[in-house]
Amino acid sequence: MDSLIAELILLRKRVATWILLGFWLFMTILFGYVLPYYAYKGDIRFRERGGQVLLTTLLPHNLVTNLLSGFPFFGGTIVLILGVLAIGSEYSWGTLTPAFTQRASRLKVFFSKILALAITLVPFVLLVFLLGFIASVLIALKEDQPIDLPSAWLFVRALGISWFILAAWATFGVLIAVLSRGTALAIGLGIIYGLVLEGVISEFANEISLLSYISKAFLRTNGYSLLSSLGASVTGEGPGSFSGSLVSGTQAGLVLALEIVVFIAVAATLIKRRDVAGSS
Amino acid sequence: MTDNIVIETKALTKRYRPGIVAVDGLSMNVKRGEVYGFVGPNGAGKTTTLRMLLGLVHPTSGDCSVLGHKPGSPEVLARIGTIVETPAFYPYLCGRDNLKVLARLASVPYSRIDPALKEVDLLDRAQDKFKNYSLGMKQRLGMAAALLKDPELLILDEPTNGLDPAGMAEMRGLIRELGRGERTVLLSSHLMGELEQICDRIGVIKKGKIIAEGALDELRHGSRLKVKAEPLARAQELLGAMPGVGKIEQDTDALMVEADPASAAAINRSLVEAGIEVSELYMMKLSLENVFLDLTEENKQRG
Repeated sequence: MDSLIAELILLRKRVATWILLGFWLFMTILFGYVLPYYAYKGDIRFRERGGQVLLTTLLPHNLVTNLLSGFPFFGGTIVLILGVLAIGSEYSWGTLTPAFTQRASRLKVFFSKILALAITLVPFVLLVFLLGFIASVLIALKEDQPIDLPSAWLFVRALGISWFILAAWATFGVLIAVLSRGTALAIGLGIIYGLVLEGVISEFANEISLLSYISKAFLRTNGYSLLSSLGASVTGEGPGSFSGSLVSGTQAGLVLALEIVVFIAVAATLIKRRDVAGSS
Repeated sequence: MTDNIVIETKALTKRYRPGIVAVDGLSMNVKRGEVYGFVGPNGAGKTTTLRMLLGLVHPTSGDCSVLGHKPGSPEVLARIGTIVETPAFYPYLCGRDNLKVLARLASVPYSRIDPALKEVDLLDRAQDKFKNYSLGMKQRLGMAAALLKDPELLILDEPTNGLDPAGMAEMRGLIRELGRGERTVLLSSHLMGELEQICDRIGVIKKGKIIAEGALDELRHGSRLKVKAEPLARAQELLGAMPGVGKIEQDTDALMVEADPASAAAINRSLVEAGIEVSELYMMKLSLENVFLDLTEENKQRG
């Protein structure tokens, strides 16, 4: 418990954590409500290109399906950075030395860090839904529409799946930070992997069978597949849309769970076995 | 390991890759309650040895025990305070919050924090962010962190790095104070003067090997007598034939004679009786630096 509190202090008092949270909330509301509502209200360019936004997607009863698509895309990348910072900075600052010479074992420190990260992801989920709820209610009031909420069961499943998707990305960030023993390379590679590599390979996956097979292990493919199982529309155009092939919700859940376990296990093994040098 | 031995290493070796040996079959003992100086040039293997004692670096071979346990085990770490190289802390946290994090990891109550900060005279700046600290303040915070657990054993690697002369003197005083009683201090440094003033025993490390270990007086191999006499060549000849006299070196207008200080009067009498005028004859205490240079020079010649 003491180690967990130490790790929570580190994450809570770090400005970067709050900046990432703020940026994630801003992106989600901007692309989930502000821009679509602006387009709906009659942006000329948007209409000239044949764009159409259904008001119904912005109303409270579609809160879950409207918000979910950002999680495997912006959300994943943002928490990947959080995961990298949570442990990669320890290498950059040389703080693994004091952390590993107090009393707690290396694995205890590492798993406390993972647990603290998992707890920190909770507001990344809850606040998005809270702000999304406020935005959808404001739109409903403005447009004189009914304020109907999604079912509690759908809401609970959405919260769980959203956290689960973020957890997969954050632990991936932890792994690449441990592998690269730092932050800069890990963040660079993580962003390229998440935003470019997975996206490009998923594009070609419909044409090349080998890539189709590989893409079924991707974080985004499985994240979007989970969302799809909740009824969220993930295909199409624009931010948060996905063009690769999907898998079943059960398969996606199992693959992501396995990946989380593998990411943590590999990182933990390296943390336990490797020598701890000074700051890099 | 007897109860009196706090740190014991036997043939401790760390190889990083073929051809690079940081620590080479190092064997040393640190006794309870002593301040043990670990001296050697930069790159001699001091920090790697200390990291192995703390469980941060895994030895390639050899044995090593700290407080009767395997290095790095929680029961040992709970009884050790340490500074390894430049103190590393979280730059965005203030001094006090950094100690709070370490106190949590060490399962030490927060009530230990202020006394530790006070001990190193950092209480007034405890709310400042670590990134704004001077190197000296960082070093003092490192010392406060080392004291948090009220440890039985302090392992300090270059604790006076970055301190001004006043700060160095203060830190030396603090270490001397901390080394009193039952607490054991292993102090690594390449500053010979610093170790000479603080340590009870010294281990000299070079190229990963202990080349000498003992109390400073033992390392001095007795002492040297400085003999200023006229004619010097005859004095050298006579001294060379005397029993109990070791190496004789000429140092400009005097002779440096390796001999037991107790034999100084006899040497003086013999020279005078032989008609040699002795203008100066006194015992020279070798500095640790002289000892170290002698040892490393001998080592070089043997190698």
